[in-house]
Amino acid sequence: MCGIMGYSGHRRASEVLVEGLKRLEYRGYDSAGVAMVENGRLAMVKRQGELDVLQGALPRLEGRTGIGHTRWATCGRPSDRNAHPFLSCDGKLAIVHNGIIENHSTLRKRLEAEGHHFTSETDTEVVVHLLEGHFRGDLRQAMADTLKEIKGTYAIAAVLEGSEEIVAARKENPLVIGLGVQENFLASDVTALLSYTNKVLYVMDGETVSLTPNGVAIFDSEGAQVKREPSLVSWSAEDAQKGGFEHFMLKEIFEGPNAIHNTLLGALDLIENGEVLPRTDFQSVKLVACGSSYHAAMVGKYAMEEFAGVPTTLELASEYRYSPGARETPLVILITQSGETADTLAAAREARRRGCHTLAVTNVVGSTITREVDEVLYTRAGPEIGVAATKTFLTQLVAMYLVAIRIGYGNGTLSHDSMRSALSSLRQSSNMVQSVLNRTHSIEEASRMLDRAGHCFFIGRNINYPTMLEGALKLKEISYIHAEGFAAGELKHGPLALLDATTPVIAVAIKGDHTYEKMLANISEVAARDSPVLGIGVEGDTDLGRLCERMIAIQPVEPVFSPLPVTVALQALAYYVARRRGCSIDKPKNLAKSVTVE
Amino acid sequence: MAMPRGLMMKAVVLAAGEGNRLRPFTVSRPKVMIPIGNRPILEYVVRALASNGITDIILVVGYMKERIMSFFGNGARFGVQISYAIQEKQLGTAHAALAVRDQVQEEFIMVAGDNIIDAQAIADLLGHGDGMAMLVTESEMPSKYGVVHIEGGRVVDIIEKPDKKVGNIINTGIYRLPPSIFDHLEKGVMAGRSGITHVLHGCLPKIKMEAVRSTGRWMDAVYPWDLVRLNEYAFSMAGQETSGTIEAGVTMRGPVHVGAGSRIRAGCYIEGPVSIGEGCEIGPYVTIFPTSSIGNGVNIAPFTTIDSSIIMNNVSIGSHSHISRAVIDDGCRIMTGLSAPSGLAQVKVEDDFFKVERAGSMVGEFTQIGPRVVLSAGAIVGANCRVGDGAKVSGTLEDRSIVV
Repeated sequence: MCGIMGYSGHRRASEVLVEGLKRLEYRGYDSAGVAMVENGRLAMVKRQGELDVLQGALPRLEGRTGIGHTRWATCGRPSDRNAHPFLSCDGKLAIVHNGIIENHSTLRKRLEAEGHHFTSETDTEVVVHLLEGHFRGDLRQAMADTLKEIKGTYAIAAVLEGSEEIVAARKENPLVIGLGVQENFLASDVTALLSYTNKVLYVMDGETVSLTPNGVAIFDSEGAQVKREPSLVSWSAEDAQKGGFEHFMLKEIFEGPNAIHNTLLGALDLIENGEVLPRTDFQSVKLVACGSSYHAAMVGKYAMEEFAGVPTTLELASEYRYSPGARETPLVILITQSGETADTLAAAREARRRGCHTLAVTNVVGSTITREVDEVLYTRAGPEIGVAATKTFLTQLVAMYLVAIRIGYGNGTLSHDSMRSALSSLRQSSNMVQSVLNRTHSIEEASRMLDRAGHCFFIGRNINYPTMLEGALKLKEISYIHAEGFAAGELKHGPLALLDATTPVIAVAIKGDHTYEKMLANISEVAARDSPVLGIGVEGDTDLGRLCERMIAIQPVEPVFSPLPVTVALQALAYYVARRRGCSIDKPKNLAKSVTVE
Repeated sequence: MAMPRGLMMKAVVLAAGEGNRLRPFTVSRPKVMIPIGNRPILEYVVRALASNGITDIILVVGYMKERIMSFFGNGARFGVQISYAIQEKQLGTAHAALAVRDQVQEEFIMVAGDNIIDAQAIADLLGHGDGMAMLVTESEMPSKYGVVHIEGGRVVDIIEKPDKKVGNIINTGIYRLPPSIFDHLEKGVMAGRSGITHVLHGCLPKIKMEAVRSTGRWMDAVYPWDLVRLNEYAFSMAGQETSGTIEAGVTMRGPVHVGAGSRIRAGCYIEGPVSIGEGCEIGPYVTIFPTSSIGNGVNIAPFTTIDSSIIMNNVSIGSHSHISRAVIDDGCRIMTGLSAPSGLAQVKVEDDFFKVERAGSMVGEFTQIGPRVVLSAGAIVGANCRVGDGAKVSGTLEDRSIVV
């Protein structure tokens, strides 16, 4: 979604802002802008398009205080005019905003009647005019008064001419402060701050902030000052760079084994000592997520039933929060990479309201969801810049296995010995992933099968059914080839009608899985319709090899853990197809990394 | 001190080669990424450069380059700035060096990435004289390297892998070079000379190349069993800290490193120097003798003894096994009762036979070994092999072999 950056200190603000916004690029955006205090007056530049366009349009600015923004259009189309920041009528105030102002049309009518002049179609612009109306010399007080009038969600930052103060506020949108020496920063995400500092303060919902080069003061919604200790972020700025790889996505695919390893560290303590879910006597479990995380949840359902024998249901976060809630489950697990996904946050609140025990699986320490739930299990994948989830998805799978093994061990379904052997197999899975990566050239070769495809099907069964849904999602989101995933058994209930020689089918069949023979039968059905089949199976599986035009081989693996190596093969497959098609791999059109709007 | 000089200098590290004499350990990683003392060989080189203030490092990568790139990233983790140059085809070191031609305009350091060195080796080179220089060292096995002739402190001749004894001072592959060297390298490559020493040999009469004797450490692995020796040696350079969980009743003597999230269960006896990686499960009742390194995510079941061995990542070793001077690659699964002793052995590598003392067994990645297997001293088991219950293996097994 949108990104905010703010700076007040001794450096040239325009440079810090553009640099910071570049690190927020992963959030997706269609326009960008900055405003700063230049010789006591406000200077503003904003442009539709990439940050390079903005950078090209920037004159040399000396100002040391400013705010910047990358916009991902929600209200009002992408354009120069609709880009942030926005100025007040007198040009003395500028603001940037993430989120949605729900009552903007009523406010706008009133403000226009009062004589305010609007320059854009956005909901945001009402904020700056309200601020102007409330401003009596104290910017933070004016902000507090403005917030009382608006309904909706926001992270807002504002600057005033002739001042080195930045005032900010947040409600349900991420905002973090970076502490430097005689300089301070403000951003939507710590990744924007890491080249300058690893000392951060997280701003909470309902708080307002006053930031100057020499200090930061945080106030609660009553106006009382809040004391907060800074946190140290262990990510380094390096984590946010490409390190020799052509794309962030490829770099992140290759970081998979290490991400899995880090997520598994201390797994035994987690499970044996009950460091997550000290209580495990749940009669049923519900998994709630959106997008790729939902596919991880689907794998989690199989794992939960296999290792813990607990009936498990799934729900999309955007559906769960509005569901009648007739059959509540005692444990609700919410999965969100960023910890900021709006629907998942709302679902977490709803689950707690319904009296469920809540566990969040997230990759971002200190993210909003961690404050909305009873317990948190972190996936330790490090920051992911590519919009397409890769290593973070793998670590979500690992988290699902860990939770399932924990509950299974806790409720007695798994003995100590079988728990340890399951963990040992899980650890080996990071090597299986590495082994797939060692042979990416063969995946690159195989991916040519999809070059001319307009449509493409992914089929699997059992625990690899969700894997194939994720494979299809990866392909469509970065290569723009229409791809659908199906449970292989469903083919003959419709999709088979669409198959012909121009529609490649990617099929996974893991020898040793109890659905393996059924998969081979399904692949034969597909092959009989002349569809070219790209098989994914265990090395040396000649039965599968015979049925397929090409095959991607993985190491022999326990079927329950096969989604890990199979997923990474599918990620690489999507990557190579998209690269040959010249697609914008790290920033696919119309998509954003973390969906903080509903 | 050489610090100020290093600060301005770039280093070019050659890391593109496969190292096929070290198979099976280079099946899916370049030689520079083989772990010694639980760190890739290349990490020793990067650290040696960094401690001399050389922070601008160009890695020339090729074979399995992603393994290097995903480990080193942009170098920030090691306090240096790393950029990459790609040698698409492995056509020798001279060709590899030419890949950085556009990125080097001043005098620079060139280092082979596949030897373990310490900071002193680089300091020696930086601290001596001006102009072109080669770091040389004494070797017990000069026939594997380029033997140099030195007159008046100058290198006057290099004889690559001599058949007969011509001296024991060898080229370490570490140089200080001017950018004009690229012209020589280019001419050499055009004339069909693939190695840097080969090219230098051709132009030594014309150029002045100072010989700098290394007082630091320089060590190379040519064949798989050399890795065990290298590992012993690396322990003199390793740090030591203990995290993870050490249960009551564990005895640890000497320096023992235990990584985060590892658990050493009761009754284990560990005699350092030993390095155990992250997320391992060792014991109960496992004995580990000096100069063993155990990678990440390794499981070792009760009553197993490991001696002077390299166990790489995510290996699982069953109970009642005895493993001496072995190298076991990633993802191997070994059932109970493996006997893998070390001893005098005749080993075959690329049609050559070698008599190796105290040779252990070498096991390639993802190999599965059934219960009660015997691996004779000096056995080399390839990657992805399956060795069935009770089998006895001696000699060399190709990758993907099945022994029933």
